[in-house]
Amino acid sequence: MSTSAPRSVDSSLISRRTVLGAAALTPIAAFLAACSSTGSSGTASAKLTGQLNIYTWPDYFSDKDLAAYAKKYGVTPKISTYTDNNTLFTKLNSAAGAGYDIVVPSSSWIKQISDKGLLEELDLDRFNLKNLDQSLLNRNYDPHNKYSIPKDWGLLGVVYDPDAVGGEIKTWQDFFDAGAKSGASGRIRMTSAAEETVGPALWVQGKDWNTKKIADIQGTEDFLTTFAKHVKTFSAFDPNALKSGAIVMAQANQAAARNAILLNPKLKWVVPGPTSELWVDSFSIAKGAPDVERAYEFLKYQLTPTVQVNETVYLGYPASLNGLRDKLPSNVKESDLIFGGPDVDFDKLTSFIVNPDTYPTFQDIQNKVQAAAGA
Amino acid sequence: MRRTGDHVLAAIPLAWLAVLFLVPLGFTLVYSFGTSGFGTVQLGFSLDNYIQALGPLYLETFLRTLGFAVGSSLLCLVLAYPIAYAIARRSGRFKVVAFALILLPYLASLLIRVMSWQILLAQGGPLEKILRAIGVLHSPITILDSLPAVIIGTIAVYLPIAIIALAVVLDRIPPEVVEASQDLGASPTATFWTVIFPLSRPGIATAALLTAVPMLGELVIPVLLGGNKGLFLSQAISTQYVQSQNYALGSAMVVLLVLAVAVIVALLVRLTRGFEGTAG
Amino acid sequence: MTAHQLTGGVGGRRRLATGIALWVWFGIVVVFLFAPIVTAITYSFNEGVAGKQTSAFTGFTWDWYAHTFSDPTIAQATGTSLIVSFWAALIAVVIGTILGFELVRNPNRTVRRLLAGLTYILLIVPETVLGVSLLLFYTETRIPLDEFTLIAALTPPSISVVAFVIRARVLTLDAGVEDAAADLGAGRLTTLRTVVLPQLGPAIGAAALIAYTFAFDNVVIANFLSTPTVNVLTVYLYGTLQYGATPAVYATATLIFVFTVVALGIAALLLRTALRVGRRDAADA
Repeated sequence: MSTSAPRSVDSSLISRRTVLGAAALTPIAAFLAACSSTGSSGTASAKLTGQLNIYTWPDYFSDKDLAAYAKKYGVTPKISTYTDNNTLFTKLNSAAGAGYDIVVPSSSWIKQISDKGLLEELDLDRFNLKNLDQSLLNRNYDPHNKYSIPKDWGLLGVVYDPDAVGGEIKTWQDFFDAGAKSGASGRIRMTSAAEETVGPALWVQGKDWNTKKIADIQGTEDFLTTFAKHVKTFSAFDPNALKSGAIVMAQANQAAARNAILLNPKLKWVVPGPTSELWVDSFSIAKGAPDVERAYEFLKYQLTPTVQVNETVYLGYPASLNGLRDKLPSNVKESDLIFGGPDVDFDKLTSFIVNPDTYPTFQDIQNKVQAAAGA
Repeated sequence: MRRTGDHVLAAIPLAWLAVLFLVPLGFTLVYSFGTSGFGTVQLGFSLDNYIQALGPLYLETFLRTLGFAVGSSLLCLVLAYPIAYAIARRSGRFKVVAFALILLPYLASLLIRVMSWQILLAQGGPLEKILRAIGVLHSPITILDSLPAVIIGTIAVYLPIAIIALAVVLDRIPPEVVEASQDLGASPTATFWTVIFPLSRPGIATAALLTAVPMLGELVIPVLLGGNKGLFLSQAISTQYVQSQNYALGSAMVVLLVLAVAVIVALLVRLTRGFEGTAG
Repeated sequence: MTAHQLTGGVGGRRRLATGIALWVWFGIVVVFLFAPIVTAITYSFNEGVAGKQTSAFTGFTWDWYAHTFSDPTIAQATGTSLIVSFWAALIAVVIGTILGFELVRNPNRTVRRLLAGLTYILLIVPETVLGVSLLLFYTETRIPLDEFTLIAALTPPSISVVAFVIRARVLTLDAGVEDAAADLGAGRLTTLRTVVLPQLGPAIGAAALIAYTFAFDNVVIANFLSTPTVNVLTVYLYGTLQYGATPAVYATATLIFVFTVVALGIAALLLRTALRVGRRDAADA
């Protein structure tokens, strides 16, 4: 794989920016630029101030809290959505990234996005961090929370039908073993996130998914492509499929699993050993945000305890509020599951950090696994 | 007829597409010879991306996607032809209503239609319930997240396009030609194969192109109905750009795809001779 | 007017059988095409589970329709989608019609081939590529993104489809009429306007519809070229799919569908009335 080869810099290579800068001088580009600036776009940057532009996951804020915010501060946030962190990164790294105030990257991508200079450094004095769950602060993906404040968090686990799977799942090895047996084979859901496919295969071998050794990552390929034929889908998690029995075992986060269990109480949820994933979706301010003041105002609002409780109930993911578990309304069903269930050992969980050197190898294996699953 | 305006007409689409399509595509060509960083490209001249893109995984992916596109497109044409024929043979209000019935579903959001197929085809979903109720089916349907589901969804999405492309041409076959054939004693079957079918060739070629080629690039339907399995080409390319942030390799794959499809389309055009009006 | 037409002429009984078979088939296909629409409308009233859509109908509710209007993301994205796809379709129809005509009738064979090659490549290039390369292009040329850059970016795929539909139609036209117009001194622009366009009417109508839906349904290009203030519905929809869509999006889609059908119906009625009035005036004169 070219990604594993050391990337030698050939002196004859011209930098991309120089050449494309020259391309920008071509008449066509000049013409287009002229056309475009005479259009309505001239006012684009002026239009942005006085409002709040949020780029986030779909349905990631409760409507009621947004409406309450709008009422209190006189600004209705404009919300755009992305499907994955990769898209967030691609957009922020381009012309289309201009004008966002708040973005919500996951722990896995914060380092990569901030390394590219795409996030503002946060002024932590403006927040009451004591209110927050201290174990979610100062984590390895963003030491001292220079660029991010935790919004909510989730786990990678497995939700399954013990009858169909033929017993209890305790480890990722159990997951792979059960999947290969006739009860579950062909009725498994895995995620399309490469690290969540490759990660468990690494953990089974006692390896770290943040390893820099590309050979280790590649070492999972044969195992995973062989296992692939047992997988029914890599698409979005559908709680209903676990009710109907189309799927009997699925990789999922705790909120998705909770929805499935609410539909079908005989399902079980586990965060398998020896380790699994803890992800933290976080608030960040985009570099060059048009209205930094308003961004802080919105973040402070979002971090107030009542709002965090509301958001938790709405999303099914726990917000970052300290002592949140005791503050949830008593009518929330299966509230324990929101926090990952009673048996989770948080010290054993790890967070994935995207490394440009190894990440393409993860993707490569994911492609091969999905290809093998369909053959 | 050498007047002003001779080339103005051709210049309008050319200019528009040059800026919005050819120049960006030129970027792709240039990038394909470069070396990729993470979300950046170092320009240069290297064939590494092409060597990688021609590896077994992507070659297999290309062939699989090609097979899918050609198969689904043929199926689409076979299903669409009788409809287009039936519509074209009628006139007046009846025809308008028939056309409207075919086109109406097309006005609903594509994503919603595909999402609805997801619901329809689900195990324990509405289709299963209906089939069970009328006694056709006795076991759960497990079609969702498989290739047949992808094909059903694809046909549902592309069928109206095929019908329109065919009907637009069938509609123009003068009734006198058909009558003349029958007056000369040809059976309806013979009339169809010797008169109508040959005259509809431009429609067939257009319908084939408008379905097969976009199917090669289909991204959403395999993900939503096929369980995201059996990697399709567009997905493989998309992964390089968005997931792996490897613009150079993604670009090389695009260049190869464009070349391969260009060859296939050229062959198709020759074989069907459906574009005589333009090829000459 | 149906039955006796079918039975008339040579081979009456066989033609009747063929006719019936064709319309039975037509019925099956219409059911097939409408199945997802009926499903979407039905499931826009589904309560769902924990705010997400499910394939099991869990209970009837009107709530999602209220939600459609109260959710700022959906309301705003829907508005942008309608505006953006209208303009993209308009541009695509104008340029695609010219392209489709020129593919057949440009006097210069080299130009014809060049245009044909361009139209094929347009159809071939995956949307991801178009989206990313346009994004890079806009980035490098420092063109600020707005509604217009999105509209422009959505046109190329629609243009190729329009061009192919129009070309198929132009191929069936009699070139002699155009030649006659040219002999009488009309330029090619004039010929296109006065001789060709009137004959292309229905084809343009169908092409316009396709262009509009292409632009409205586009996920991939729009995903890359949307901006903080220009968001389209499909990008939001596609995103929600990954994490479970709310039935509210089915309600939104139903409303848009009904709105589009009604708008088109009114447009068709107005057009027909106008044509009738025009014809009567002409007859009176």
